[in-house]
Amino acid sequence: MLSHIIRKELLDQLLSLRFAIACVVCLVVLLLSSIVLTRDYREAMSTYNMNKVMHRNDVTQRTGVQDLWQGVTVDRPLNVMNVLVRGISAELTESVRVQNGNRMDFLEVYEQNPVVPLFPEVDFVFISGIIMSLLALAFSYDAISGERESGVLKVVMSYSVPRDTLLLGKWIGGYLALIAPFVMSFIAGLVVMALFPEVEIGTDNFLSIFALLLLALLYLAAIYSLGVFVSCRTEIASTSITVLLLVWVVFILAIPNMAPYFTGQLIPAPSRTSIDRGKLEVQQETMRLRQKMMRDEQERSGKEDVWNDEDFQEKLRIFHEEREAEAQKIEDSFMAKIRAQTRWSTYIARISPLTSFNLAALDLAAAGINQEVHFVDALKEYSSTWGSYSDEKSKAWQDFMKERRSSGSRMMFTSADMEQFNNMDYSDYPRFTFTYMPFKDRLQSVYKDVLLLGVWNVLFFMLAYLSFLRYDVR
Amino acid sequence: MFFLTIKKEIVHNILSFRFIVTYALLFCLVLLAIFLMTDEYGKRLEEYNRAVGKERQWLEKVENMEDPNEQFQEVQRASFVGSRRPKNLSILARGLEGNLPTQVNAGSWGRFIQTSEDRLSKNMLFDIFQTPDFVYVINIVMSLLALLFVFDSVCGEKEQGTLKLLLSNSVPRDIVLIGKWIGGYLSVIAPFSVAALGGFTYIYISGNFVGSNDGIFRFFLIYLISLLYISAFFTLGLMISTLTHRTSTALLVALLVWICWILVVPNLSPVLARLIAPVPSRQVIDGEKQAIDKETQLLIEGINKRKVYGDEAEMERIQSAADKRKNKLEEFYQDRMRSQMSLSQNLARVSPSASFLFATTRLAGTGPVLYRFFQQAQEKFSEAAQQFQRSMYTQDLVEWSPQGPKVKDPDWFKADNLPHFEMFEERIGDSFNEALFDILLLVIYNVLFFMLSYTFFLRYDAT
Repeated sequence: MLSHIIRKELLDQLLSLRFAIACVVCLVVLLLSSIVLTRDYREAMSTYNMNKVMHRNDVTQRTGVQDLWQGVTVDRPLNVMNVLVRGISAELTESVRVQNGNRMDFLEVYEQNPVVPLFPEVDFVFISGIIMSLLALAFSYDAISGERESGVLKVVMSYSVPRDTLLLGKWIGGYLALIAPFVMSFIAGLVVMALFPEVEIGTDNFLSIFALLLLALLYLAAIYSLGVFVSCRTEIASTSITVLLLVWVVFILAIPNMAPYFTGQLIPAPSRTSIDRGKLEVQQETMRLRQKMMRDEQERSGKEDVWNDEDFQEKLRIFHEEREAEAQKIEDSFMAKIRAQTRWSTYIARISPLTSFNLAALDLAAAGINQEVHFVDALKEYSSTWGSYSDEKSKAWQDFMKERRSSGSRMMFTSADMEQFNNMDYSDYPRFTFTYMPFKDRLQSVYKDVLLLGVWNVLFFMLAYLSFLRYDVR
Repeated sequence: MFFLTIKKEIVHNILSFRFIVTYALLFCLVLLAIFLMTDEYGKRLEEYNRAVGKERQWLEKVENMEDPNEQFQEVQRASFVGSRRPKNLSILARGLEGNLPTQVNAGSWGRFIQTSEDRLSKNMLFDIFQTPDFVYVINIVMSLLALLFVFDSVCGEKEQGTLKLLLSNSVPRDIVLIGKWIGGYLSVIAPFSVAALGGFTYIYISGNFVGSNDGIFRFFLIYLISLLYISAFFTLGLMISTLTHRTSTALLVALLVWICWILVVPNLSPVLARLIAPVPSRQVIDGEKQAIDKETQLLIEGINKRKVYGDEAEMERIQSAADKRKNKLEEFYQDRMRSQMSLSQNLARVSPSASFLFATTRLAGTGPVLYRFFQQAQEKFSEAAQQFQRSMYTQDLVEWSPQGPKVKDPDWFKADNLPHFEMFEERIGDSFNEALFDILLLVIYNVLFFMLSYTFFLRYDAT
């Protein structure tokens, strides 16, 4: 009986206008997005290659020992998953100047096309999260109430069909009809991607793409179940769609977008600028106090060169450590607030299934918050590698300077002195290598959201079931 | 008869379930959006005021310094930092307000550096989701609700049989259609206007329009454009209703059109424009400029080695040729960027949503033009700072001695001569003129949809 109901529901849907609309929307939007984003990726690839060569030449053409202090500019390798998921990085390519001591400068130029930030990118996450969720509601709003209105439900229920079987059959049939055009269009999009030789999908990314599709199907199942549930709670299809659109606006458009701002009210955090200003004030105060300490010490000891006194040096060291700890305290308290704000924003935003889907999709594509942290960590690691390399390369220079200082001679250099330090070879400098998170790590970071989507599915279906058990079919 | 049709339509809508839903939803969303964005603006304004206060404190400190030499050294050490004042209308349309830095260093020349701390010390959910401001609520939610209100106004009545009954009276079809339009539209904009009034009251009470009426006028204009935009979608829904004969079909078609016009067309346009009119990256342009510099340097070094009389002129010629090439390269980059920008705007304008967004952000001063004003202000600021610093050394102001600088004129310091970061504030009339094209487009959409629905309704089979 179940298969009969599924078949009937599937045929009903396949012959309906909404199925035709879903086919057109899915195919056009997914294909268009796929073509546009893949071509954009191709353009980014050539920019990345150009930048990489330019930055490599910039280092290898240097000859002076002091050039080492400029650091090195590295480029973030392109993430092939950006063809499907654009992620939180504004651009596909990014160059970062890395210097010794964990110092890295992310260059930002405000000369881009200003229309770009005004509109969100139409990628797989956007299509599944917003467009497909709306279509899921269009497929499910009249699953029960529509059949009650047309009188079909009464006829079906006059047979010996258990209500659970009927509901399950309707759910499966309708859901299959919803995901069929989506999956087909997704595959078509992948074929388009494969036509571009620049898009090289490795095993990890292939598995991620598959997981991404499964995640989207789970999310759509949750939204579809919500639609069936509302349909079971209403008697007229127009009421059902009105309620569903209200719920969609609240859960998909309002809650996720408002959650970060709302959390900003609950857990206020100062801005980065004010924290930097606070730290600068501590630094200035440190300099002032240091000078005062020096003057006091000079007066007390009656000596001019107090900095050569070991006891005073120790005193200065302890003083500096204390002041640095104070500045660090400001930074730590700020970061703790930001972390708390982010954590609570995600908790509140997760009231909406869209947040779970978005966050999980971003992590699966290695284009989310975790990946950002991973990239900065990799840059920090590279900074220390570059630091070791710089130290090694400038060792002779440092020794030379030390010798000059200890001999008490003036810091003047002849051209012969500089000759040996102006003919350096940096062709062996360490290259920045960065690999995106492996599939296993990506899966580990998304399991909570996947679980949450599973819970939404079960909850909505259970509610639909309970409502349908008491539903008046007349 | 005309008024009766309007009255019937209003009563029908007011008594419907969707009216309650729309009313509740709009009231909550508009107020919540305004409340959250006002608070967010308040924080940015506080930050700005703090920065300006610090600058003022520093100026007072310098002015009160008795020793002009010390004063000179203090100014010499200073790095000039300008603060960008947040736009008060960003409460309604945030636009690009959050994409630009709030502090500008005079020495940066358009390059802004973000450290790893800057990068990670923010709530990244802001980057994942969109800003839920007033304009977003109108653009996305209100357009959907307008369609929801009207999708069954003609075909729904046909299904119920009331249209047949209505048209059996001696009432012309145009009167019925206009009556339906007016009645339905009034029912939609009533809850919206109440919500907007509530929002306006909140902004006014929180003191964000204090000082001038400019903000109030701009708010009013944004409200009027919103009405025009809602009307465009309402008329589109009416057109769909006159095209179809079943409510379920009308609903699906309306949703399809909404998805394409609101979610797909404007959002795809910037990427499409990037592909049609590509612009080389800033790094590539800079790389080419560096290559020109290197080439020039090599040529000049070669001349220096020859040490022949008259080579100075040759060197100058090489330098000016290099400068010309670099300027040309910069012009090429700016031209390409401008054409890409205008292409993406024009492509997006296929959707009324983009026209609405461009018009409202222009009036709020947070649209694409903000980038231009910011760049201009920042260039001016950097030039002024450079000029000021140069003047400190070139105007025969100081005598240099081993003990440090000795200022000749003790009253040399004038706070007004210091560089200030000031962004151009467009007058309301100019903003309106610039937004006029998009407003006109919205009017055209309105007229077009109404004409089409009228044509379809004249031939509509009411039986």
